Amino acid sequence: MQIVTMVQALNQALDLALAGDDKVFLMGEDIGRMGGDFGVTKGLWEKYGQERVRDTPLSEAGFIGAAVGAAMVGMRPVAEIMFADFLGECYDQLVNNAAKMHYMFDGQFRAPIVVRAAAGGGFGGGPHHSQSVEGWFLNVPGLVIVAPSNPYDAKGLLLASIADDNPVLFLEHKALYRVKGDVPEEKYTVPLRKASIARAGEHVTVVTCMKMTHEALAAAAELAGEGISAEVIDLRTLRPWDAATVLDSVARTGRVVIANEAPKMGGLASDVSAVIAEEGFGYLKAPILRVCGLDTPIPFSVPLEKIVLPGKEDIKAAVRKVVTL
Amino acid sequence: MALDSPPVGDPRQLLFRLYGDMCRVRAFELGLEREFKRGNVPGMLHTGLGQEAVQAAIAANLSPTDCFFPDHRCHGLLILAGTPGEKIMAELFGKAPGVCSGKGGSLHSADITVGNFGNNAIEGSMMVTALGAALGWKMQKADRLAAVIVGDGTSGRGEWHESMNLAATWQVPLLYCCVNNGYAISTPVGFSHATSDLVDFARGYKIPAVQVDGNDIEAAFAATRAAVEHIRAGHGPYFIEYKTWRWQGIFSGEFRPAEEVRYYREEHDPVKMARQKLLAGGMAREAEISELEQAVNAEIESWIAFAKASPLPDPAKATADVYVGWEVATRCRS
Repeated sequence: MQIVTMVQALNQALDLALAGDDKVFLMGEDIGRMGGDFGVTKGLWEKYGQERVRDTPLSEAGFIGAAVGAAMVGMRPVAEIMFADFLGECYDQLVNNAAKMHYMFDGQFRAPIVVRAAAGGGFGGGPHHSQSVEGWFLNVPGLVIVAPSNPYDAKGLLLASIADDNPVLFLEHKALYRVKGDVPEEKYTVPLRKASIARAGEHVTVVTCMKMTHEALAAAAELAGEGISAEVIDLRTLRPWDAATVLDSVARTGRVVIANEAPKMGGLASDVSAVIAEEGFGYLKAPILRVCGLDTPIPFSVPLEKIVLPGKEDIKAAVRKVVTL
Repeated sequence: MALDSPPVGDPRQLLFRLYGDMCRVRAFELGLEREFKRGNVPGMLHTGLGQEAVQAAIAANLSPTDCFFPDHRCHGLLILAGTPGEKIMAELFGKAPGVCSGKGGSLHSADITVGNFGNNAIEGSMMVTALGAALGWKMQKADRLAAVIVGDGTSGRGEWHESMNLAATWQVPLLYCCVNNGYAISTPVGFSHATSDLVDFARGYKIPAVQVDGNDIEAAFAATRAAVEHIRAGHGPYFIEYKTWRWQGIFSGEFRPAEEVRYYREEHDPVKMARQKLLAGGMAREAEISELEQAVNAEIESWIAFAKASPLPDPAKATADVYVGWEVATRCRS
């Protein structure tokens, strides 16, 4: 075991994938010589060369489309979108091509691509470098959305995503890149479509992902001092998300708070809430509450951004409310 | 492609073979159009009538190990690629024996067994998909090329230009087949683009490019042959602009000048031109040609009869193959 940052854990996953399969190759803007905007691909260009660690122009539709085509002929491309906000530039390739190909061609083709993207706010990045975009893609059958919250999961989930035969959008929250944790040096996978119980509890279930997992864990630790025992579920895969683990927890606690950094309307929290209401209504002792970003773009000025993005205190307030209802 | 290699050494045999291919496309589309008007074909219909020479020229020059991404007036290419015609016809009818079990239809028909990597109704987006396939072949050091067939109406899209920029930069084995029939639905090319000659764009990206009369089968075949040889020799991408004309107007009818319609349908029809050339050059007798045409028509009618008689898809297909390896959850229907 080693203690490494999430950036290093992701770097190790890419290194192991490149070393283990010559069909794996990387594409993206400044991922080669520079090692990526956040250093995730550092050292790989020197080790594997420019054919397999391929610097691209600012041409997201071009190289994500190329990833899909390369996957059709047996390659396993891993592409980096520098900031998740730029996914709009290649939206069509992911939504209408990668995600639908297996279905519309009756199973003849597969698009085993992984598209990594740096997501999330909280650092003064402004409206086009801070968004949580999972909601843009939740309504797309055929696509998998993976979103780790810690270095161990990041490495295992990325290796599992590269090995999976479906197109995977892999969201990396920027605020977590420097978070450290225990990570095995060897190759291992963490299963897709399986949530983890980040903290066990009895009175309320907090369903969350990525950076909000840390906010929820901090909230749970403080709430314990008030006699409230909160269970924190880190979804890890956001599409399709693990309804069985969530419903099982709700059956035990009867109370739910869903915490998601993205805007509230039409997002992950709405979907989780709806499924619990449809399938777990009998378990509920209180209404479901959602703690989300406000329905605004993300402002540049840090104090304004703090108003827009949710955090630990918002989760604590929501939990206190549902346990007294 | 599963068809025999074209007999390039013998101009008579070559033209006769290509004429047969074009007749097959023409008969297929006319039969399909008839059935569409009778209400037997669901959805929308985009035929390749008038563009038969382009499809025959491309099909005859690809090898079975290449891959190609057809455009949306491509039924001819689909059948010339070697997929049994009845499986294509059944797909267009939305029936179970269709090449995609009726899940794709006219705009999404793929057959991996013949290198048909499928068309896509987001017109022009395959420019970059084909780029990736060509990149994959190159990285695998495979002696294969990728071909993408697109209409002029797609040339304003970003993916067009992103594809050509990267293909030229990466020097991948990619054949661009641009079918310029003069109009994007109702809008003339030059009205909405900086040029009416789309080779101009390719040349800007330093991709070798040629413009050819896409209604002259011999010229179209020769241009395609030269492009494919260039790519197979390892010289990178190549762009062909086939100037042609489509018979189909717009949804509400014909909108083009009457003289233009008359010219293309009467004087510059690719099938008619090839037929006249065979006869005038003494390369084939009238009886021989008629026999071929009758055989082709009978074949197409048998495909239509097959499609009509075929069963509808198994309802289980509606939820099959959304993901590789796992079933889609249908729990939340109500």
